[in-house]
Amino acid sequence: MRDDLEVLLERLVHASVFERIVISVAALFAAIVVGGVLVFVSGGFASCRTGLDLAGWTFCYNPMQVYYELFLGALGHPLEGGWHPLNYDMATTLRETTLLIFAGLSVAVAFRAGLFNIGTQGQLVVGGLATAVTVLYAAAIVPAGFVGTLVLVPIGVAAGALFGGLFGAIPGVLKAYADANEVITTIMLNFVAAGITSTLLSWRFQDPDSANPQTARVPEYAEIPTIPYVGFDVRMDFSLLALGFAVVLMVAVAWMLARTSFGYELRTSGIQPEAAAYGGVAEKRMIVSSMTLSGALGGVAGAFWVLMQHGRWLENVPPIGFDGIAVSILAGNNPLGVGAAAFLFGVLSSGSRSIGTATNVPPELVGVLSGLLILFVAMPEFFRMIGGRYLDLGAERPARADGAGGADDD
Amino acid sequence: MIDGLSRRRVGGGLAVVVALWLVAAVAFPDSWARALLGVVASPSTHTATLRLAVPIALAAIGGIFAEKSGVINIGIEGLLIVSAFSAILVTYWLGAGESTLLVSHHWWGFAAGVLASTLFALVFAVVCIEFKADQIIAGLAVWLIALGLAPFASRIVFNSPNTAGVGRFQNVTVPVLSEVPVVGYLLFDTEPQVYVMLGSAAAGWYLLSRTAFGRWVVASGENPKALDTAGVDVRKVRYAAVLLSGFFAGLGGAGFALGQLGTFAGGGDTAIGGRGFIAIATYLFANYHPIGALAGSFLFAGLDAIQLRLQNLGYAVPTELIRTIPYVTVVVVLVFVGKTRLPEAAGEHYDPGED
Repeated sequence: MRDDLEVLLERLVHASVFERIVISVAALFAAIVVGGVLVFVSGGFASCRTGLDLAGWTFCYNPMQVYYELFLGALGHPLEGGWHPLNYDMATTLRETTLLIFAGLSVAVAFRAGLFNIGTQGQLVVGGLATAVTVLYAAAIVPAGFVGTLVLVPIGVAAGALFGGLFGAIPGVLKAYADANEVITTIMLNFVAAGITSTLLSWRFQDPDSANPQTARVPEYAEIPTIPYVGFDVRMDFSLLALGFAVVLMVAVAWMLARTSFGYELRTSGIQPEAAAYGGVAEKRMIVSSMTLSGALGGVAGAFWVLMQHGRWLENVPPIGFDGIAVSILAGNNPLGVGAAAFLFGVLSSGSRSIGTATNVPPELVGVLSGLLILFVAMPEFFRMIGGRYLDLGAERPARADGAGGADDD
Repeated sequence: MIDGLSRRRVGGGLAVVVALWLVAAVAFPDSWARALLGVVASPSTHTATLRLAVPIALAAIGGIFAEKSGVINIGIEGLLIVSAFSAILVTYWLGAGESTLLVSHHWWGFAAGVLASTLFALVFAVVCIEFKADQIIAGLAVWLIALGLAPFASRIVFNSPNTAGVGRFQNVTVPVLSEVPVVGYLLFDTEPQVYVMLGSAAAGWYLLSRTAFGRWVVASGENPKALDTAGVDVRKVRYAAVLLSGFFAGLGGAGFALGQLGTFAGGGDTAIGGRGFIAIATYLFANYHPIGALAGSFLFAGLDAIQLRLQNLGYAVPTELIRTIPYVTVVVVLVFVGKTRLPEAAGEHYDPGED
C-alpha cells in the first residue's frame, strides 16, 4: 500500500515539476505582456509634455522603460556606473524576499496537505504583535547587549511562531471537527485578526509617545543583527542572517516534506485523502497539525517583519500574507520553488519604488501585475491550448523536457 | 454538532440577552443600554442601515447565482471595487451634474459601473469555465487585480489614489406612500440604490426559485451531468450565472459609490473595505436564499450603523472589535447553527466529454 502510494506520489511530483516551471515562466511572460499593453494604453489617458503620437492621441508611457526600472531598479541599476551590490534597492528586494519566503512556505505547507490557507495574513498579524509584545516585556528582565540579542531574538521568533500557529490551528480545528470550509474561515479570520490586534493595541500596547497606531520600539539589540563589513547597512532594515535563516527553513521544510514520515503523510493527505486515511493517517489530526505548522510559518513572517524591518509592530500591516499566496501558487507549492518566486515578488515590490521615482507610471502597476500573474498561473489549460496549437502548426512532434529533438523517433 | 438543539440554544441565548438589555434600558434611563436602545430605535439608524446594506446585499445576491451554478466566486470584492471606481470615473468624465439624452450623468456612470463589473466577471468566467482554472485562485486574482487597478487608474486620471468627488444620487420620494408611518420614510423616501437593492432581491429570488433558468442554475451546481443529459448546456448556464454575479455586484458597487460615497478611495483596502467578503459571509449565513441574504445584509449593515452612531454620541465603542462581528458570526454559523452545504459540484469543472 505504502510503496504503491510512494510511487504514485513520486510520479505526480516529478512529472509536474518541469511543467510547473514552464507554466510559471509562461505566466510571468503573459503577465508582463498584458501589463505592458495596460501601461501603454493607460499612457493615452495620462497627460504629459512628450510622448508617442499615434493618430492624434499622445501615449505618455513607454512599457520598455517601465520594465527596465522595475526589474533593474530593484537591483539598484547594475548596468549603470557606480553600482555596488550592497545598495538600498537590493536591500529592499532581499528584505521582501526574506519575508515572502516565510509567507510563501506557510501557504505551501497547507496547500501540500490539501488545505487552502488564505489566512497567512491574519496569522502574520497576530504573530507579529505577539513577537513585539513578548520582546518588549522580556527586554525588561534580560541583560542588554550581545546576550540580549542571543536571548530576545529567539524568544521573539518563537512567540510569533507560537501565536501564529495557534491562530492557524483555529481554522484547522474547525475544518477537522466541524467540517467548516477553511477557505471561508481563513478569509474571515484575517479580518478578525486585524480587529483583535488593533483593539489590543489601543487597549494596552500603544506606544504612548506616538500618534501612530503602533507599539513601542523594541531595544536595538533585540532586532535581527546584521553582519558587519560584509552585510548591509543597519539602516537598510535587512539582514543577511535573516535571509540565511529563511533559506535554511526553506530547505528544512522541503526536507520535511520529502523525507520524513510526517511529510509523507502530509503529502498523501493532500493528494489522496481517502487513500491516506486507509493507509493509517489520522486525518483530523493531520488537518490540525498542518494548519498549525502553516500558521506558525506565517507567525515567523510576522516576527521577522517586526524584528528586522520596523523594530515594532504597526497596525498598518502590508499584505505580505496575500503575496505569500501568490508566491506559493507561482512556485507550484514546492518549498524550493518558493525561494525563486519570493525573489521575483521581492523584485516587483522593490522595483515599484523605482518605477515611482524614475517614471510617471503609477507604482500601483505592480499590484495589477501580481494579480495578472496569479490569474495566468491559475490557468495552465490556457498555455496547454496555446502550446498545442503552436505545435500543431509548427513542428509535428511535442517538445521534450530533456531537449531531445531533431530525428523523428516516435 | 449542527442540529436543532444547538440552534435552539443559540436562539434562546440571544433572546435572553435581548430581554436583559431591554429591562436594563427601561430601568436605567442614563445607562449605556438606554443609549443603545435610542440608537437602535432611531429612524436615522434604519435609513443608514438600508444604505450600508446596498453593496453587501447586491454582491451577496450575485454570489448566490455564481456559487449555486457551481462556480465559487470569491472575487466579488474585486467586482465591487471595479464597478464603484468605474461608476465614479465615467460620471466624472461626462461631467457630474449634467445630463445627456435627458438622463443624469450619474446614471450613465452607474450603467458604466455595472458594465465594467459584468465584463470583469466575463473574464473570470472564461478563465474558470474555458480554461478550467482553479476557482479560488482565479477569484483571488480578480480581487488582487482590481485592488491594483483602481488606484493605478485613479493616479493616472486624478493624480491620487482617491478620485475627485462627483456628488451623489438624490433621494427619490414616492408621493403618498412615503406618508405611510414607519415603512414610508424607510422604503419610499430614500436613495435610488436602495430601490435597486430591494428590487434585485425580489428579482433574484424569483429568478432562482420560480423560473426554468433558476432550476438549471441549481442543477448545474448540484448535478451538472444530469442537467447535461436533460439537454441543457452546462457551460452556458454557468456563464450566465457568473455574468449575473458580475451584474448584481456591479449594481451594488456602483450604487454604493454614487449613492453613498460620491467619490472613491483607492488606497489600502479601497473604499469597499472588505464588503465583498462580508457578502460571501452573508449568503452563506442565509444559506443561498436571496431574500435571506437581504435580511443578513441588514443585520451586518445595522451593526455598522449602530456602531457609527454610538461613536458620534461619544461612547468609546471599540470600533475595530465591532467590525469583526460579521466575520465571527460567519465562523460560528459555519460551525454551529445553520450548516451551509456548498452545492455538490461547486469548485469542480464540468467536462461534457467525460462519462
